[in-house]
Parts: sequence; C-alpha cells; structure tokens
Amino acid sequence: MTHIDPQLHRVLDGELPSDDLTPSQREQFAALQRAARLLADAPAASVAARVMTEVRRPRQSLGQRFAQWLTERHTVTIAVRPVWSLALAAALGAIAVIPARGPGPVLGEQEGIAQFVGRFPGAKSVEVVGSFTDWRPGAVVLRDDDHDGIWRASVVLPVGEHEYMFVVDGERWITDPLAGRYVDDGFGRQNALIFVRPLAR
Amino acid sequence: MTAGRLVACLLAAASPLVAQGSFARLAGRVPAPALRAIDSILVAARREGLPTEPLIEKAFEGGAKGVAPDKIVLAVGTSADQLRSARALLREAGETQPTDPAEVTAVAAALSRGLSPELVGQLTAVLPGEPTGPALHAVADLVGHRFAEDSSVDLIVAAAQAGLRGLRFLDVAAAAVQDLQRGQSHAAALAHVHSLLPNVPPPPRPAPAAVSRARRLQPGSERP
Repeated sequence: MTHIDPQLHRVLDGELPSDDLTPSQREQFAALQRAARLLADAPAASVAARVMTEVRRPRQSLGQRFAQWLTERHTVTIAVRPVWSLALAAALGAIAVIPARGPGPVLGEQEGIAQFVGRFPGAKSVEVVGSFTDWRPGAVVLRDDDHDGIWRASVVLPVGEHEYMFVVDGERWITDPLAGRYVDDGFGRQNALIFVRPLAR
Repeated sequence: MTAGRLVACLLAAASPLVAQGSFARLAGRVPAPALRAIDSILVAARREGLPTEPLIEKAFEGGAKGVAPDKIVLAVGTSADQLRSARALLREAGETQPTDPAEVTAVAAALSRGLSPELVGQLTAVLPGEPTGPALHAVADLVGHRFAEDSSVDLIVAAAQAGLRGLRFLDVAAAAVQDLQRGQSHAAALAHVHSLLPNVPPPPRPAPAAVSRARRLQPGSERP
C-alpha cells in the first residue's frame, strides 16, 4: 500500500488548508486530485454496474439473434478419420468426372442411335427426311443451339440400313457430304446411307 | 377342299384388298397422274412374289422430292427390275428360300449401289442361308473408295472365313478406308486389315450425351 503523508491526508480530509503544505506536498496533492478526477470520469466498473447496464439494454428479437449468430465467427471442429476423407474426395471426384446421363430413351435390342450432323451456315431450318420416316418431311428436325452453323440431331431408329437426305429451309434437298455411303436415288441425285447398330442399354 | 386350294382362295380374295390399301397409301403423297401406273407395277410385283414395300417407298420419295410423275413411275419400275434381278441372283446362288423380302431387298440395294451381279452372286454363295446385306454393302463401301472389286470381295470373304458376321463386315471396310485416309496405298490398307482379322476395331459408340438427347420419331412419321 502507498504511504500518504499525514499532513497531506488532513488536507485531503479538509481539516487543513492546502496553503500549509510544502511545495513537494503540493505536487503530491495536485497528483492525487488529478487521479481523483480521472476516477470520477471513468464508467462504473463494478459487476453490479455492468449487469444493470445489460438489463437496461433493449432485448434483441429471435431473428436478430439468429442473424448475429450467422455473421459472427465460430470455431467449428470436425474430427474425421483419414479413410473417410479419402472416400469423400473419391466420391466428389467421381461425380465431377462421370458425365451425367439425362433421361434418355430406353432402347430395345433392335434399336440404335443415328446421329445426323451437317454444316449449313445461314440456314433457317434443317431436317432429315428418309426411308425411316417414309420420306415424310417434318419428323426429324436438326438444331443449331449455339448458332455456329452446325446442325445436329440424335434419333432412335431400327437397326439396319436407311437412306436419307437433308432438307434445308424446307425446299433444298442436299446429300449428306459426310455420310461416306451413297446410292443413286433414281431421280438424278444421291441418297446417303446410314447403318444403325444395336445399342441396348 | 384341300389346304392349298383354301390358301389360294384366301390370297385371291385378299389381293384386291391389299392393292386397295397400297393405292390409299399412295394417294395424296404421289402425284395423281402417276398413281395408276405405279399401282400396276405394284400389282405385278405382288403377283411375282416380290417385296412391294421398297417400291412404295420409292414412290413416296419421288413425291416428297417433287419429282415429275413420269420419272417417279420410271424409278419405281427400275426398282422393281432390281428386285427381280436380286431374286434371280439369290436363286442362282442356291438359296432355298430366295423370297425372303429382306434378303431380296438387301441384294437389290447392293445392285443399286453399282455392284456387278457376278460379284453379288459370289458373295451370296460364300454366305449361304445368312443375311448378305452388310457384306454386300461392305464391298460396295470398298469399291466406292476405289478398291479393286476382286480385292474387296477377297477381304470380305476372308473376314467371313475368320468368323465375322453381320455389321462387323462394315467394320472391316471402315478399317481399310481409315487406313487409306491416313495415307496408305490401297494395297497396303487391304494387307493391313487382312492381318488384323478377325480383330478389326469396332466403331466408336455414340457419346452418352448423344444417347440421352436422342428422341423417338413422332407417331405417324414412322413406317406403318
């Protein structure tokens, strides 16, 4: 405990005037007064005062408290065996690598997929007409979703040989230049030939 | 009444109905001036026991392509002649039942691709009682890429002797054509594929995305 001069103590108690102090005692007296003022300005630090402060503060709603909980930092500790971590990593990798299969058609044993691709920049419509549609237009319409001039269609067809031609803009009959197999159509042009293979799933 | 006479009576009774059905199918899809001539070709083909579906298809094709009526009639008549030639070839090759419509149609298709009757007869003799369509088209593929006819037939016959059948013949032709496109000579390509037999590479399967995108034809657009 700090020792205070008895005469200084009496001045602090108001028993003596401060004029009776020596210069060094006056300096100590001034220091003590500054300290007293600082203490007087400081907020209440007692437990009771802090509790009362909290009690007086308005209570937050459930939503506000949840939002505060969401935005505050929390320390989360997960204990996982390394074998499970590796299994999780493998599963995530498989999901990323294996292509997703859409709800495609279920194929019979005597059915396969025919893919038609043609480059027709500027075309408004492209379709395939052939023996598999009884040469009836409008059944197999190709699409160019990215507007790069490459038109595509995938169709389920019976296994075997089929003849076809592209019909561009509903009027121009064009032989598929990529077919590789052709047969005279008997009308002065050539039909392309496609052999559909079984693709049972 | 014997069973044979009963069948003959039924066929005679059904024939006009079948003919009427063909006429109804053609009407509206084939120019009216060509209808009667095409119908008479169909009646004759039916009487001879030839498959008529390829002839009806040819008429549909001509109608869809906007071909003049007389040219449609000509093309249908030519198709009927090819079917007759095909059936004759199959009979010469010793087919016990040359009236199998699918086989007659396959051989006729090979003839229309430009294969000579001699070559077709040679191949059908190698594959007695088996579907010859893919083998014929494999040879036609090779000939279409300027392989010699004899060498093309030899390769497909060798593939058959190595145990390949059906659409695998087309893989043999495709392998030779691929070698050609990689810069090999015709002789080198044939020799290479011959050395691979019977393990020629199969064609790539369609990508899963293409399979999942595939759609069936709408009802009414398919062959009835």
